[in-house]
Amino acid sequence: MFDGPLFLQNFPLLLSALLTTVEVSAAALFLGFFIGVLVASLRLSPTPALKRLGGAYIFVFRGIPLLVQLLFIYYFLPRIGLPNVSPMAAAVIGLALCCGAYIAEILRGGFMAIPHGQLEAAGLLGLSNAQMLVRIRVPQAVRLTLPGLINEMILLIKASSLVSVVGLADLTRTAQNMAASDYMFVQDYLMLAAFYCLINMPLAWCGGHLERRLKEQGA
Amino acid sequence: MQLDSRSSKKLGKTVSGLCLSLTLMAASLAAHADQLADVKKAGVLDVGTEMQFAPFDFIEAGKQKGLNAELFEEMGKELGVKIKFQDLPWPSVLPGLEAKKFDVVAGPIIVTQARKDRYHFMLPIAEATVSLMAGAKDDSIQKPEDISGKTVGAGKGSAQLEELKAFAEKLPAKVTIKEYVDNNQAYADLAAKRIVAVANSLPNISYVAAQKSNLYKVVQPPFGKKSYFAFLGRKDADSDSLIAALDGALLKMHQDGRLAALQKKWLGAEMDVPTADFTPSW
Repeated sequence: MFDGPLFLQNFPLLLSALLTTVEVSAAALFLGFFIGVLVASLRLSPTPALKRLGGAYIFVFRGIPLLVQLLFIYYFLPRIGLPNVSPMAAAVIGLALCCGAYIAEILRGGFMAIPHGQLEAAGLLGLSNAQMLVRIRVPQAVRLTLPGLINEMILLIKASSLVSVVGLADLTRTAQNMAASDYMFVQDYLMLAAFYCLINMPLAWCGGHLERRLKEQGA
Repeated sequence: MQLDSRSSKKLGKTVSGLCLSLTLMAASLAAHADQLADVKKAGVLDVGTEMQFAPFDFIEAGKQKGLNAELFEEMGKELGVKIKFQDLPWPSVLPGLEAKKFDVVAGPIIVTQARKDRYHFMLPIAEATVSLMAGAKDDSIQKPEDISGKTVGAGKGSAQLEELKAFAEKLPAKVTIKEYVDNNQAYADLAAKRIVAVANSLPNISYVAAQKSNLYKVVQPPFGKKSYFAFLGRKDADSDSLIAALDGALLKMHQDGRLAALQKKWLGAEMDVPTADFTPSW
């Protein structure tokens, strides 16, 4: 059942594919975070038009499955005149746009959970909006949204297994190609699952560690 | 910024240089795009394929192997260009061609009339008649008709699936057809006995059955209509020159025996394929 020499042969190949997966996930998370902050600010803004704009973005990118979004970006945009995108670019953009919507909602939830009384008191004490944001809202929002954001990061890494449809040879595609030629499906797919756990478990641990640190620091 | 005579001359040169290059760029954009010329200029032929289609295209120990890689290398030598393969899941390959992500599609793909209407096929490179692969120790499947009333698998969106459906219609008991995103999942299900047979082209299942003769066997005779495998490109005026050049390379390989040698190496036998345009059987 278990083929030792094959395992040793496949291990480094999966390791280099792991690098691609981590690259694309990290880049998408970075970009997605900025998109999330932007869209969350739109949603939290007092202007109704901006609120609607943010709402529309979230509706579209949460409503359409990620697989469909990736196909759109890669195959249909060139046909309507937009420039040809490389597989890596298509993957990062697709993942970022999608997770940006989810991060926006996580951040919005965090900001809304801060008791309004704090901001009223701060206003009475003479703090400006910017000071309130930096000293009261952001620190508390970070603590409140950290579990949700770590969750989103882990989901993103798993969602990246779809990027083979845009031509990027990630961990999943590489394992599939291997199984296709050596027919050791169980062994290869078990290795694949193990590799994903290899990335996700340290991330979850880091998240837990960060949470504990913030708890100690905070009020 | 103080403009003295020297810097103003430089500025003048830069501006006119810019204008000249912009005009040239505009002129080249307006010029008729010829795919063969583009490929030769870039020195690279971009080929889209799925590298899970042994013995034509598969990955062994991280390297691409199979008939496609070697055949394209020969064609590349004739045209004087390098070959760059892009691996995609099969349902993404033809849309990618239409989106101009690459110049041609390898595969290879079975030539059908419906596909001929939409794409420009090159000359065929192998026979593709659809057959069944069953479990090696399954004595209940001795001939294709034995799948009557059982569950059979085939690849989603494939011509082999269509042939299977047409064949199943003629059988007395209903055949349940399971569609798979990739053929290897079908082979895995066959090994797990969730299905009794997989329908795919003869070269492919011969290869799989030869590799894993303890698990699989080929069910003779092939049940499909005689069909051929070929590579293809886009059906537009720009691509005609490229396809014609690649066809020329293939004809040369027919005549000097290189194609037959590759067929023997990867498919087990030399195959008789048309060397001119033909009407597909379906």
